[in-house]
Amino acid sequence: MTRILFADKLDNCLERWRSAGISVIGPVKKSNSSGYSAVTKAAEFDFNLVLPERSIKELFFPQSEPLMRYEIKKQEINTSEFKAPTSERIIFGVRPCDAAGLAIDDPLFGWDYQDEYWFQRRRETVLVTIACTKADDFCMCTSLKLTPDSEKGSDILLRPLENNSGWQVEELTDRGREAFKIIADLLQESQEKAAPTAVVEEKFDLEAALAWLKEPENFESHFWKEISMRCIGCGSCTFLCPTCHCFDIQDEGDTYSGIRRKNWDSCSFALFTMHTSGHNPRSTQSARWRQRIMHKFNYFPGKFNLNSCSGCGRCSRQCPVDMGITETLQELSKLLR
Amino acid sequence: MKENSINAQDNIYKPAIMKVVAKHDEAPGVKTLRIEFVDPVEHERFKTTYRTGMFGLYGVYGEGESTFCVASPETRKEYIECTFRQSGRVTSVLANAEIGDLITYRGPYGNRFPIEEFYGKNLLFIAGGIALPPTRSVIWSCLDQREKFGKVTIVYGARTVADLVYKHELDEWMERDDVELVLAVDPGGESPDWKHKVGFVPTVLEQAAPSPDNCIAVLCGPPIMIKFTLIALKKLGFDEKSVYTTLENRMKCGVGKCGRCNVGSVYICKEGPVFTADEVSRMPAADL
Repeated sequence: MTRILFADKLDNCLERWRSAGISVIGPVKKSNSSGYSAVTKAAEFDFNLVLPERSIKELFFPQSEPLMRYEIKKQEINTSEFKAPTSERIIFGVRPCDAAGLAIDDPLFGWDYQDEYWFQRRRETVLVTIACTKADDFCMCTSLKLTPDSEKGSDILLRPLENNSGWQVEELTDRGREAFKIIADLLQESQEKAAPTAVVEEKFDLEAALAWLKEPENFESHFWKEISMRCIGCGSCTFLCPTCHCFDIQDEGDTYSGIRRKNWDSCSFALFTMHTSGHNPRSTQSARWRQRIMHKFNYFPGKFNLNSCSGCGRCSRQCPVDMGITETLQELSKLLR
Repeated sequence: MKENSINAQDNIYKPAIMKVVAKHDEAPGVKTLRIEFVDPVEHERFKTTYRTGMFGLYGVYGEGESTFCVASPETRKEYIECTFRQSGRVTSVLANAEIGDLITYRGPYGNRFPIEEFYGKNLLFIAGGIALPPTRSVIWSCLDQREKFGKVTIVYGARTVADLVYKHELDEWMERDDVELVLAVDPGGESPDWKHKVGFVPTVLEQAAPSPDNCIAVLCGPPIMIKFTLIALKKLGFDEKSVYTTLENRMKCGVGKCGRCNVGSVYICKEGPVFTADEVSRMPAADL
């Protein structure tokens, strides 16, 4: 016997959570794109999406985050701080790769200096993940040693039933248990079977690629020039990536008043590392693509013992020139064979 | 050298407000500002964390923030001095700041020169052009406790006589009998009354031939100068592990999150900016 949340109870759940002061967010398809958005009725969820186009990152690290409002009068600077919202929320229908992505970035936002904009939202959010029963050609979680039903980063794991009428409930954390206590009486014990999880084939040999990237002499390999020839430096991959965390700090306003903001930035952009003197340490697109791959699979693991990739495949899926992490590591695997 | 200051404030992106208390023209386009904390709590935090070698983000709301070293030594923490060339948006506004104006500061960030490890040793400081400020922070940190160190030699060169910064302090060091100062300008950069060396820093250094015995070298300058000075130091018999330098890169956060200042796997803002020449030699040169 397993506890089941039947889909027809979902509206009641939303109502309960709302009454408890918890807002609900979920996968929603809109006319131009799909992402995780606020949901008030069960019908608004789109659980059929293999993966929302936009990753979950923006709910914890918004594309543009106001930090400080400033006002300057003669010999006086007045500032007021923007804080991350303190309201509780549940993200219902998270994909396992997105939940894993958040867990990957936690140590980055917390080493020595805690970024409260990130952690405040992390503390206030319950991640209810739904295991994947279908995948597309770009999914690559298994290549990153994760699975379509990975628990990493999640508070609750739901497994879709065979007949698609609901989900088996697995409570993973205290935070998840608290949130599901509110709807405990809406769950039913049942013997309904879970649908098989999606089959995601391994697309590259991660261990071999990691070993190659660690070799200092490969930093200047011709491979980087060849693989990045197509890259137009648009930055889409970095913006869609659930783990890419680079940002810029910019003031929006004038000499007298305005807002200082933390905005998404991208290592793909030529200006990203440009010095005032004109010197640019990463002056070519190949140096910039190398940085992205090395950062994710060499530098980040060196610091935090984690690859900075959860295998969602958005970088390849939405790349305008059909390159991404999958293609790069596949080519690398070929090189090694 | 591996320590990092931990900032206790809630919002790591919120700068302290500083008052400009003095300004000085150093060279064409190069200025020094002396700034003081408005909030005594922020000042106290600075006093407990600042060590020579650390850097900060100096800013003006509406323009942004720029990264430079703290040019004042760890032995003088009542204020911060920063020296910069007017070249971009932020530095243009900072250059025009008047005494009494308010600017912002975040920091101090990064690691430091391990001064205690230099006790009892001879010190050789080598700087080129506008890289004297980070060197000067170490120089004064040592000169303010002069008895703890052996012989102190400073080799400083700039393109022209006009480009030498801290001219008043150069005069002071020149007059001290416990400091040996070798000044140089590039060929063609001398003025008719120039009494010192003419030549590039690596050449001048080789002629001065300081002994590598029991000696720590602190080297700051533009990349091309660093490259050839390291060759000269090697010829003189210096070990790469006793040569220190400080690197800089574009930064936005200063605290290891914004993702742009790394050279290979090394984050300049957290693992640096102070490195030994030996550590720098292990970084991928193409990323510098």
